Amino acid sequence: MALAEGAAVELRRIVGRESVIDSANDLRIFERDASIEGALPDAVVLPSTTQHVSDVIKVAARHKIPVVPRGAGTGLSGGAVTIRGGIALQVSRMRGIEIDTVAQTALVEPGVVNKELTLVAARHGLFYAPDPSSQNACTIGGNAAENSGGPHCLYYGVTTNHVLGMEVVFADGSVHWVSGDSPERIGLDLCGVLVGSEGTLCAITKIKVRLLRIPPTVATLLAAFPTIEAASHAVSAVIARGIVPAALEMMDQVTVGAVEAHYHAGYPTDAGAVLLVEVDGIAESTRELIAAIRDVLAKNEGYAMREAETPAERDLLWAGRKGAIGALGRIKPNYYLHDGVVPRSRLPQVLSAVGEIGEHYGLPVANVFHAGDGNLHPNILFDLRESGIMHQVEDAGEEMLRAVVELGGALSGEHGIGLEKSAYMPWVFSPDDLDSMHRVKDVLDEDGILNPGKIFPDPSRKSIRLAGRTGVAIEAKWW
Amino acid sequence: MVVSAGPRVEQPASAEELASRLLEAAASHAAVLPVGGGRARAMGDPATRCDIELHTSRLDRVLEHSQADMVVSVEAGITLEALQEELGKAGQFLPLDPFNSPGHTIGGLLATGWTGPLRLRYGSPRDFLIGIRVALPDGKLASAGGRVVKNVSGYDLMKLHYGALGTLGVIVAASFKVFPRPLRDVTLETTFESRDEAWSAAARALAMPLGPSALELFSDGRLLARFTGSPDAVERTSTDLGWKPGPASVWVEHSRRASERWARFAVPPQDLRRVLDSLPGDAQWWASPGVGVAHWSIETDADGVRAARAVAEAARGTLVLMAAPADFVREVGAWGTPPATLDIMRRLKRAFDPDATLNPGRFVV
Repeated sequence: MALAEGAAVELRRIVGRESVIDSANDLRIFERDASIEGALPDAVVLPSTTQHVSDVIKVAARHKIPVVPRGAGTGLSGGAVTIRGGIALQVSRMRGIEIDTVAQTALVEPGVVNKELTLVAARHGLFYAPDPSSQNACTIGGNAAENSGGPHCLYYGVTTNHVLGMEVVFADGSVHWVSGDSPERIGLDLCGVLVGSEGTLCAITKIKVRLLRIPPTVATLLAAFPTIEAASHAVSAVIARGIVPAALEMMDQVTVGAVEAHYHAGYPTDAGAVLLVEVDGIAESTRELIAAIRDVLAKNEGYAMREAETPAERDLLWAGRKGAIGALGRIKPNYYLHDGVVPRSRLPQVLSAVGEIGEHYGLPVANVFHAGDGNLHPNILFDLRESGIMHQVEDAGEEMLRAVVELGGALSGEHGIGLEKSAYMPWVFSPDDLDSMHRVKDVLDEDGILNPGKIFPDPSRKSIRLAGRTGVAIEAKWW
Repeated sequence: MVVSAGPRVEQPASAEELASRLLEAAASHAAVLPVGGGRARAMGDPATRCDIELHTSRLDRVLEHSQADMVVSVEAGITLEALQEELGKAGQFLPLDPFNSPGHTIGGLLATGWTGPLRLRYGSPRDFLIGIRVALPDGKLASAGGRVVKNVSGYDLMKLHYGALGTLGVIVAASFKVFPRPLRDVTLETTFESRDEAWSAAARALAMPLGPSALELFSDGRLLARFTGSPDAVERTSTDLGWKPGPASVWVEHSRRASERWARFAVPPQDLRRVLDSLPGDAQWWASPGVGVAHWSIETDADGVRAARAVAEAARGTLVLMAAPADFVREVGAWGTPPATLDIMRRLKRAFDPDATLNPGRFVV
């Protein structure tokens, strides 16, 4: 399906001939993000300015063409997939960064890569806290749209806690600032609702974020545990002791084996699970906290503890964590990375359920995740060349997600709902809950042109096998 | 002359009952004023109509406190003090210390968005509210979020209701991420003759490598700081700063602060001093310089408040009345200049409260 001829002409007039892509071959590059499902856009438009974005959306609104904002395409839930065709609004040319060292804020355009902001801010002794594992590629615009997290969100919070305000373009093409430099605004907190709305309520053209001072010292500790259960208890024990580390990450035996073979970071391969703990602050603080954490870990079956002595050692310990998913390629060529959150104390239960589901389907599962937040990431490993395997993988994933929800958890901690999980929304939200969300969507995007087919369940699209198992949404049942 | 009997008081015993009272009111075109602890009753413009006061006082239960998960779910009518007592049993707390305490309810604090000194370190409830349940004028009970500390499932409607002054729905329950009591918690104080020196001292305290968890500056040159964290780090910082130790009770005393007429400035932190300097020299105020928030005990006339608001708004900030006699509020306006997105806000209001049942005329929308 191609765009109406009139629309294509108008788009070229706005951004220039070379900034509209609509040849069948070139469109394939924009068919997917990092999730499993793809769909071709009818056109890719590359705006350079807010005005471009506004004008493009006005054209789309007039012709009722879907518009899907797209950053680096690293999203894991299909947020950037043009499932109903239309325009992929590729913001990668919008990458201005302005640092205000007095206010300790940055004004960035949506195409700025997360890591790039961190590097620029570091020149001023500042950093941007949310650090998704894809930070070398993912964009701040995508982070704001998905409300992304990362390992250091345990202490510092997720994207929404760091966005001070945004310039956005609504579905009618109007441009507005929502919130800003002041700690309070007048009226409703539109900014708070728009962060994490996955491109379904607005396109983001500027983001004002808070920067933090780089802590003077960082201490990173690796500890081995005989079992995942023991490591999970240790995680709860650290926090119960009154310590909230900057990061508290867990890797299971499957992951550790693959990582060690790849990075030789000195991870203990005999361990049932490994914890990576980081604290930062002034020297007195990190010294004291690491000593206390060592004590708690040792009392909870922790062994083979190793503290990074140099920045290079710290990087190596983190390389294993951040590169874990790539290293898993040693086991199977393909993976399906899931995302769910449970109350921290339920980690042992949910991980044993995940293990059983993997075994039942004969699929290896590797767990590498943000244990401090209870945010698990089971990685189902498979070989796409095996026939019918994808079906098995999706079924296993669905059962894992169901286990998460039944333990009082949430469908996603940081990847978003997108296409991947929209069918599961009724598992946690009642029709009345969803109706509330719909009201917001209908006010802001009456014709449904912004990223259609995402977040809300679309009964025409995907049937889920486990849907009939409970009649009532978990949340509604619980209160 | 018609003597008004005043609004009818309803005190439903459950969220479901509250929702049906709300539906009945909406159906009969009655205006509803939701009431929690009544600590912010004078906030906002005087309501244009008020037929029913809908109190949450009987919704005062802790629904679940999962100590290991550091998550608590409560009904909206519980007071902050009662919740802190429950959390304290587990060595935990909600980092919220609003002014005009005690007696705030959780629902009231979420609806008004009032905060206190600890916002410097912990942020506002906007940052640690993880789930919400709201009764809507059509009688529905709608939830958003959940009971986990990290969650991107669906729209973040906690943010829609937080600070909306109960104009889109009545908050009936909420879940929070709670925090462990700090290993060490030290209060320091000092006073300067000149306000200039006091501002410089505040800047120095804020720039300490271990930043303060709270830092309050008063118009009389007094400074109050709170440092929390690992004992060694707190010790070193206290020594380096050189202020004298104070009793923790000063914070309780501070949280009682309020006036018959008072207002809140919220401006970019770097502009706060300039904005406060524009007030008359004898103005009484207390400020969180690291946050950009200050509270002013108003002794000027309406023109004085308008002038102060103009300075705050020129600095891209706001001046909101916290309380004042109704005539004074009418004269000045509780909120100030609405943002350019007002029309969108109005449409959201209509989508949730089409008959303007909730707090008519009191909020921005």
